Amino acid sequence: MKFRGGYNIRFQGKPGGLLKDILLPEVLYLPLESGSFNFSALCATHGQDVGLGDVLAKDPDNHDIPLLSPTNGKVNLEAAPGHITLEDLSDDSSKSYTYHDELEHIHKKMGSAGLKRYKLLNLGAWEFVKEAYTGQIPNPLSTPQAVIVSTFRLEPFLIRGDVLLKEHLRQFTRGLEHLQSLLAYQPIYLAFPKIKSNFAAKIKEQIRGYAWVKLIEVPLKYPYDSFEIISRHIGLRHSTGSIWGVNVEGVLAIDMALTNSKPCLERAISVAGPGALMSVNLRLPTGYPLSKIKNEYGLQNSIAIDGGVLTGRLLTDDIKGVPTDCRGITFVPEQLGREFLGWLRPGFGRQSYSDCFLSSLCSHFPERLTNAVKGELRPCVSCGFCEDACPAGIMPHQLHKLIYQDDIDAVEKFRIDLCVECGLCSFVCPSKIELMQQFREMKQTILKEKEIAAAEAAKEAALESATEAE
Amino acid sequence: MRVLLKIFEKISPIFEEGGKLAAIKPLYEAIENFCFAPSAKARCAPFSRDPLDIKRYMTMVIIGLLPCVVASLYFFGLRVIPMIIVSYMTGGTVEVVFSIIRKEPIAEGFLVTGLIFPLILPPATPLWMVALGCAFGVFVGKEVFGGTGRNLFNPAIVGRCFLVLAYPAVMSSSWVKPGHGITGRLLEYVSSANIEAITSATPLVEAKHGLEDMSHMFMGLDISGCLGETSALMILCGGIFLLLTKVANWRTVVSILGSAVIFEAILHRVNPEQFAPGMWHLFAGGLMFGAFFMATDPVSSPSTNEGKWMYGILIGVIVILIRNFSGYVEGMMFAILLGNIAAPIIDEMVFSVRLRLLKNE
Ligand code: SF4
Ligand code: SF4
Repeated sequence: MKFRGGYNIRFQGKPGGLLKDILLPEVLYLPLESGSFNFSALCATHGQDVGLGDVLAKDPDNHDIPLLSPTNGKVNLEAAPGHITLEDLSDDSSKSYTYHDELEHIHKKMGSAGLKRYKLLNLGAWEFVKEAYTGQIPNPLSTPQAVIVSTFRLEPFLIRGDVLLKEHLRQFTRGLEHLQSLLAYQPIYLAFPKIKSNFAAKIKEQIRGYAWVKLIEVPLKYPYDSFEIISRHIGLRHSTGSIWGVNVEGVLAIDMALTNSKPCLERAISVAGPGALMSVNLRLPTGYPLSKIKNEYGLQNSIAIDGGVLTGRLLTDDIKGVPTDCRGITFVPEQLGREFLGWLRPGFGRQSYSDCFLSSLCSHFPERLTNAVKGELRPCVSCGFCEDACPAGIMPHQLHKLIYQDDIDAVEKFRIDLCVECGLCSFVCPSKIELMQQFREMKQTILKEKEIAAAEAAKEAALESATEAE
Repeated sequence: MRVLLKIFEKISPIFEEGGKLAAIKPLYEAIENFCFAPSAKARCAPFSRDPLDIKRYMTMVIIGLLPCVVASLYFFGLRVIPMIIVSYMTGGTVEVVFSIIRKEPIAEGFLVTGLIFPLILPPATPLWMVALGCAFGVFVGKEVFGGTGRNLFNPAIVGRCFLVLAYPAVMSSSWVKPGHGITGRLLEYVSSANIEAITSATPLVEAKHGLEDMSHMFMGLDISGCLGETSALMILCGGIFLLLTKVANWRTVVSILGSAVIFEAILHRVNPEQFAPGMWHLFAGGLMFGAFFMATDPVSSPSTNEGKWMYGILIGVIVILIRNFSGYVEGMMFAILLGNIAAPIIDEMVFSVRLRLLKNE
C-alpha cells in the first residue's frame, strides 16, 4: 500500500528534544485502569510495604501484565478509589526485590527462551509490545511473523521518538539484538523517518551491521508512524500471523530487562500543548500525581489529555496519577470568548486543512489552539475532506452514513476494521461530525457481537458433541 | 459586541425546552450562531478541530459567485437585486419553516441555492416566478428528501426545471439584450414596461443563423443569456477561486468541460457545416457556469474522486447531445439533472471496485 492521506497540524506548543528528570514526590497514585489496561487482580494488601519493582496488581485479561511498584513504599488501598496509593516513598534500590531464586527455577523449567519471555513480562517490558493491527498486547509466548520497531512519533504534542534514542543509542541497538534473539528468522523492520541529518546517518550506520534489520523509510506525516499503516505499507497481512510493534521506549525496556534483569519503572512523557506553561519532556515514575503536573505546567482554564490532542482521552479529576501507558500529557486551553462573526473573518492566523482561509497564502500560523469545535453539527455534505485525509484508504463519510442506518454488515464490508483511529477525519470535518468516536464505538459493538457469536457457536458445538457421545 | 452577546445570553432561555418561544428555537439558534462563533467544546477526541465550518464553506461559494453577480448587474441592470432578494426570502422561509417543523437546526445550504437560483434565470423573469421557482426547488429538490445533505438533486436546478416546464412561453421571452458602454445597464431597471430591451435570442438560439464572435462570448459582451452565465471571464474568476479553496472539486469541472469540448470537436470534424467548434460551445450558454458552480455541488454529485470523473464526463457528453440532437437549445440543466440521478449509481460502482481492492488487505 502506498502512503496516502495524512496531515501535519502545525501548532505551537511542541516539546523540544530535551528530557528532564523529576524528583520523587511524597505520594504516588497508580491508576488501576488506564487506556489499554485494567489491573483488576490485586496482589498487594492494604498497609503492605513494597519494594522497587514489586508486583502490585495484574491485568488478567492481558496475559497478566503486571503493575509494578516504581519505588519502595507503603500501599494504601483506601486513599483514592480506583488507585493504589503509595506512601512513605524512597527509591533506595538496595531494598529492591530480587528474582534470582525464582529465575533459576524458571530457567530450569522453561529453558532460556522461556526465561527471557518471563523476564520481559514480569519486568514490565511486555506492555510496550503491541499487536500492529489490533493494538492489543500479543501473547508473550507466541512468535510473530515480523516485528516493526518505530523510532518516531508524530502525533502533535507527544514526545518525539528521537529524544530517548539520542540518549540511549547503545542500549537501543542492544535491545534490538535482544529482540532478534526472541525470533527465529523473522525480520525486524526499523521504521525511520525520511530525513537527512547527522543523527539519522549515524543510526543508519549502526544498523548496517545487522542483516536482520530492514530499514523502512517513512515520510514525516501524521499518522504514518502508526504500526498498522506501516505494516500495510510493507505488505504484512493481519491474516498471516501476528505482527509486533515496538517503539523506542519498548526496545529500551527490553534491553533493561534482558541485559540488567531490572524492571523498567520510569516513563518518558511529554508535558506540552498550547495550554501548557512550558512544553517539556519529563522522566517520571508512573503514578506521579497529576495535580502536581497540572499546577506546575498547565495554564488555568485548560484541559489535560492523556495522549496527543487527536487521539487522547480526557484526564478527569477522578484520575489522580500518571497512567501506566501514558505517552504524554497535553494541555489544551478551554475556549472562553465567542468570536463575533468568526466565520466571516479573513483568517490570516488560522490553519485549516482546506484552503478557505487567507492563511493558506502564508506559511506561518500564530494560532493558539483551543478545544472549541468551531462550528455547529450539520449533516454530512459529502465534501470529501475526511476521505482525503484518511490514511487508511477507507471512506469515513460512507461509514458514517451506514452507521446512521445501523447497517452493521455493510459497515464491516466497508472495512471499518482498517481504521487506525487517528482522528484526522473528525478533525477536518466541516460538519463537525464525531466520525472517529462513532467508529470507535462501532468497532466495540462489532467486537462484542463477534464474541457473543463465538460463545454461542462454542456452546452449540459442545451440545452437539455431547449428544453424539450419547 | 459584548452588549449584543449579553442580550443573546439573556434571551436564550426563552427558546429552550419549556420556554415560551421554544418552537422557533432553530431560528434563534441560527441568528445567534450567525453573530457569534458557537460555544460548543470538543467532548471527545480529537480535542481540537479544524476552523472550517459549514458556514465558511458555503460562504466560499457565495464569494465565488460574486463576480457573476457583478457582471449581471452591469449587463442586465438593477433588476438583478430584487430577483436575488426575492429568491433568498422565499428559499429562506421554506428552509426555516421546515427546520421548525423538523426541530432541526437551520442548514446553511439555502444561502448558496438562494443566490445560484436567480443567476440561472433569464433576466426579465417576473418576480413572482422567481419566488415560485425557488420555493419549489427548495421544497421538492431538498426538503422532501430530508434537507441539506440528503438531497438527490441540486435544488436550484429543480426550481429552474419546474419553471421551464410550467411556463415555457414566459421563460423563453424573458431574455434581455445586455447593456454595453461604461455603465452598461447599471442604472436601468428592465421590466416588461421597457420592452425594447427584450429579445428572444441567446447565442445558442442564434447559432442557427450564424455564430457569435467567440471573444465577445468570452467577455459576455452583447450576449444574452441567464443572469450569471453570460461572461465566461467572470465565471472563470469565481470558479478558479472556488477550485483553489478546495470547495469545488477540480475533477468535476475539468471532466465536464474537457469531455464537452472534445466531443463537440469530434462532431465538428465530422460535419463542420452542422456542428459548431468545440471551444464555441464552451463559452455558450450555461455550460461553464453549470460546470463550476452547479455540478460541483458536493451533495448531489458522487462522493468519490473516481466517481467525479465519470460524473463529469457523463454530463459533458449529455450536454453536447442535447444541444445538437434535441429540440432544446440549452442542455446543461437537464444534463446535470441526469448526472444527479446517475450519481448514486456511479458511487455504487466505484464502491464495489474499491471494496474489492480493499478486500485483499
Ligand atoms: S468531512 Fe464531514 S462533511 Fe465532509 S464528507 Fe466527511 S463526513 Fe461529510
Ligand atoms: S477513518 Fe479512522 S483512519 Fe481514517 S481518518 Fe478517520 S480515524 Fe483516521
